[in-house]
Amino acid sequence: MSQNNGQNRRFTEEGVREEIQRQPHIFTKLAENALTVAESLRDNYFKNTAKFVANLRQAVNQYETGKRPEPILEVKSVGDIEWSEVQGEVVTFIDGGLGQVQISSQIPILLRVGSYCVKTGERNISEREQFGYYPVILGDIEGGSKERKDFPDIVRITAELLGGLSALERTPNLGLLMFHGPLVYLMNAYAGHTPFTEKDIDLFLSHYAQDGDLAQRVKDEFLEEAKIEIYPKIAPERADEWTDRKLFEPLSWISFLYRRLVKEAQKRDPVPIIVGVVERGQLREFSEKILLERVFKGLRKNNKENYFNEIYGRTDLKSPKALLDRLAYTDGLLLSMLLSPGQCSEPWHINKYGGLGKGKITLPGESFVSDADWGCLRPSSPISFPKVLGCYVNVSETTEPVRVEVFSELGSKQLEEAARRTYLYARLLPGYGFPVGLDIVDKYAHIPNWMTDAYSKIIRYQLGVSLQRGEINDAEMRRILVQAIYMTKRDWLFRPQA
Amino acid sequence: MVASEQRQQPKQNQEEASIINRYVGTLVGESTSREFRLAVAHEEIREQDIIGVDAELRQPGNQSSTEKIRIWAKVQRIERLNPLFPSEAGHELAATRTNPFDTVLSLSREMVTAVCQVLGVEPLDGSGGGKLDQLRYPPQPASSAYRPDSSDIARVVVGELQERKNRALDVAWLANRREVDVNVDGHAIVSRHLAILAMTGAGKSWASRRVIEELAAKNYPIVIFDPHGDYTGLADLPELNGRVDRYYARLPIFEQSPETVITIIESLGWKLANTHISKFDDLFKSAFRFISGQDSGKSRRNLEWLSEYLGHSQLLEYRAEPNLYFFADFVQAVVKAARERAERQSEEAKRQRSARGKSKSVENQDGDDHLDQQEDALDKIIELSGYEDLQSIDKKTAGNLEGLPNNLRVAAKRIRQMEDISKRISKATSPLPNERSKLVQYGKISIVALSGYTSDFQATIYSLIASDIFSDRVQNNLKLPVLLVLEEAHNFIPGRANTNAEQNSIATTKQIAQEGRKFGVGLLLISQRPSRLDETTLAMCNSFVIMRMVNPADQNFVRKVIESLGEDEAKLLPDLDKGEAILSGQLINFPVLVKMKPPKSQGEREEKDAFVALEEAYRDNISTSDSRK
Ligand SMILES: Nc1ncnc2c1ncn2[C@@H]1O[C@H](COP(=O)(O)OP(=O)(O)OP(=O)(O)O)[C@@H](O)[C@H]1O
Ligand SMILES: [Mg+2]
Repeated sequence: MSQNNGQNRRFTEEGVREEIQRQPHIFTKLAENALTVAESLRDNYFKNTAKFVANLRQAVNQYETGKRPEPILEVKSVGDIEWSEVQGEVVTFIDGGLGQVQISSQIPILLRVGSYCVKTGERNISEREQFGYYPVILGDIEGGSKERKDFPDIVRITAELLGGLSALERTPNLGLLMFHGPLVYLMNAYAGHTPFTEKDIDLFLSHYAQDGDLAQRVKDEFLEEAKIEIYPKIAPERADEWTDRKLFEPLSWISFLYRRLVKEAQKRDPVPIIVGVVERGQLREFSEKILLERVFKGLRKNNKENYFNEIYGRTDLKSPKALLDRLAYTDGLLLSMLLSPGQCSEPWHINKYGGLGKGKITLPGESFVSDADWGCLRPSSPISFPKVLGCYVNVSETTEPVRVEVFSELGSKQLEEAARRTYLYARLLPGYGFPVGLDIVDKYAHIPNWMTDAYSKIIRYQLGVSLQRGEINDAEMRRILVQAIYMTKRDWLFRPQA
Repeated sequence: MVASEQRQQPKQNQEEASIINRYVGTLVGESTSREFRLAVAHEEIREQDIIGVDAELRQPGNQSSTEKIRIWAKVQRIERLNPLFPSEAGHELAATRTNPFDTVLSLSREMVTAVCQVLGVEPLDGSGGGKLDQLRYPPQPASSAYRPDSSDIARVVVGELQERKNRALDVAWLANRREVDVNVDGHAIVSRHLAILAMTGAGKSWASRRVIEELAAKNYPIVIFDPHGDYTGLADLPELNGRVDRYYARLPIFEQSPETVITIIESLGWKLANTHISKFDDLFKSAFRFISGQDSGKSRRNLEWLSEYLGHSQLLEYRAEPNLYFFADFVQAVVKAARERAERQSEEAKRQRSARGKSKSVENQDGDDHLDQQEDALDKIIELSGYEDLQSIDKKTAGNLEGLPNNLRVAAKRIRQMEDISKRISKATSPLPNERSKLVQYGKISIVALSGYTSDFQATIYSLIASDIFSDRVQNNLKLPVLLVLEEAHNFIPGRANTNAEQNSIATTKQIAQEGRKFGVGLLLISQRPSRLDETTLAMCNSFVIMRMVNPADQNFVRKVIESLGEDEAKLLPDLDKGEAILSGQLINFPVLVKMKPPKSQGEREEKDAFVALEEAYRDNISTSDSRK
């Protein structure tokens, strides 16, 4: 009976309020929001949110119990997975990190991508785990717009993607490839970066391709495609010039790598799962396009268009967008109150490429801008970015749901399997609610604080050994790394040459 | 620097190649001239390993001249850490009983860092003769550390000793490199004292026997105080044939000072009454004179008289020795004689009083004469001993002394028992020489067997002998230097003295520890309970052999008292194997972990398997009872 009671309380305003108070991550988020929303919304923000959520829960439940024809939110369980089901599976985790140096401001110096490949159930340590570590010194890159704040990001996206691609290519039996962060970023934001040069690409590829031939093939394939299909569409005026100068326009290059990743995966049987896992995302697309869209539709159907205005005492809450704008709800926040641990939300196609279209670009060595149009990279054409499907997974009571993203081209089972494994891996870190493999590779690749952080020790150790074994033979690179590893923060960058 | 590197390219390559073969790790992080850290591969290195790092030292102010040096260092501790294994995941695994291997957790990424202590530097070509100089500038990060050649290690471990081979004692191997012999400085041991400290069974006696054998090979005079017969086996070594004398500790008490004898008697458990002590001197001296005449006939006659006077003839048969039994008899005789005299005197007085009442009587006069003719025994004793002061023993004193003979006899009996046991256990045939400096002889080892005696008595014997030897050295009556070996030293020099005997032996030992160096008297202290040892004495030892030790109090004490012992070395102590030791102090160039070489001699009571011993005893028993039939 108490169980029943408890079940029923879930659907009441008081029940939701009590729950929220027990979950600090939700509570603090709401408290923060309450300070940013309009003053008229502030007073009863907490109470009204609870009421709204209680109503949503009721609606979800009504659909599940057949009392409502149309779903508001379809919830699935992914919590029944056990480690025994995934024995012998080969999984690679990928993460990139930036090394920053405190001088007057944070200047990223070194970018590194780590990979961690593990075979579950394997007892032999050397068979079981492989770590990869690829440093890129940002100053070595000729392309990219260095004045832009997102310059390191574009380098990191490229490097991570290459890291994933090479992990897939060198691991024939790879079952799962998991990236830390979005599988695909919101690409429009990165349009307009100065193209990379062939030298840049060689630098990238030197770490990722096992043999020079492969690197050459990847380059040739891209340049061929760029010449024939991509550049004429992006820069009809100067396409020949781009081709002649062997430029690698970043978005074209990145979309090419994504496609290559998808194609490589499609060749395999079974198709490996490729997934990106996002923690603390700020996205509200799911709420806007799916959840609230349905809510408003239902309200209109039942002639209750004024439902939100009445609850919140306003007149302008007439659309999902307006509601989210005014009330500062995000997917993470709403779904943390709608999903129980072990549940995931229904899939939706994430709009990763909105806004891709006309823009400006500066070529290496030029000081003026010219026109470009990235519209051709939007799905779905043979030269476009792949479509991305996503959902939210609630891992534990104490953490916000994580977002799981897969390529929809890789089949209908990808998302659910990805969500189940995300849950399974994250159960090992219930306090963090994030897949433990990504935590491992994050620590491995990340140097948050050069000299003091315990984890930087292992990097220094690894680099020390690589240096010792002569694995890094570029003299300048060695010099910088030795300095980076051994000097204290302040003096290593501008140290006079020995 | 770049230029010089290029010039030396070919040679450098060769050197580099051999260094890579012996490579153990790369210097990482901050280094100082005292300590640096090495990133090492798994199981590449062990604690207490000795490693080398080559470096170039530039003369300050002179850019062109560089000196090639080798930095010697010792691995103090090895840190092992898996930074990629979140402890939260560990709890989760435990809660769900999940094997980490079945998950995606990483188990391979352990970081192994060796923290190394700089021992010193020498020229790379080894021309420094093993002498290490202080490093004055930190080694360069990213340098490679390597495993030096055995011969190089041997050179620096021995240090300057190799130029003074006559001092070197071959007592150990390097624990992690058994091919390297470790020689220690015998001079430091005999002149500045050595302490061997370890828990029971760790190998102390073996270690000290090894040291003693090595010193004996150099003819150094040694006196061993052996409470357990650990050293009797030395006599069986062919090379020590005829050079080991074993003594059982019988104290010829009449050659002790009266105070000493009081100490001995009291050490056996009785405090003497003040009245006993006040007359002790007189009694003891007169007893001594009584029995020790120049001609043996006279002392025999004295004893005959005593036997007759006391009326027991056994005295002559059994107690013709100048021991406590005789002393007891003597005191008894004095008491008796003093009493008789007093009685006579009072009778005389009575008679005189009654005679005064009557009148003078001839018979009485005669009677007086008769009484006078009857000999006064006290006078006789005084006559025989020639010790006038006994006249002072009156009736009252005699009464006070009445209990003394019995006390002396009880003490005598206990001493006799102990002597018997001592004789039996030590298999020693000769008693201690009265002139104790005779124990010190060129090329000889004297073992003073103390087994069988109570610890107090042991302490007494030890301190008597030690202080005699020491004062003979001080007064230059004894020409040879000596090493005194004291097993179970915590019984002789405890931190807190509970008895007179302990007080004396602590005082003696302290004095030797302090001044022994000046007078050529060295100490070798062995103890299984270092924390019970007197701290100042231990602190005056300049060399240490420290072996396995698990008691935290002992570990702390040792760490506190021994300056040369580092914290990391102290942490190793509970994990040492039998025979493994940390040598530290002046006997060695720098503290090292060694395996002691076994001695050639056997101990009296090497530990046997209890069940094997039982079966042997049973078989022996059967065969002896068979033979009796
Ligand atoms: N250097 C060594 N090499 C090999 N074994 C050894 C060594 N030293 C000691 N042992 C072993 O340890 C045993 C005990 O040694 P030893 O009698 O010297 O210990 P101890 O510390 O003197 O013990 P106790 O406190 O009982 O006197 C020896 O019988 C021998 O078996
Ligand atoms: Mg012993």
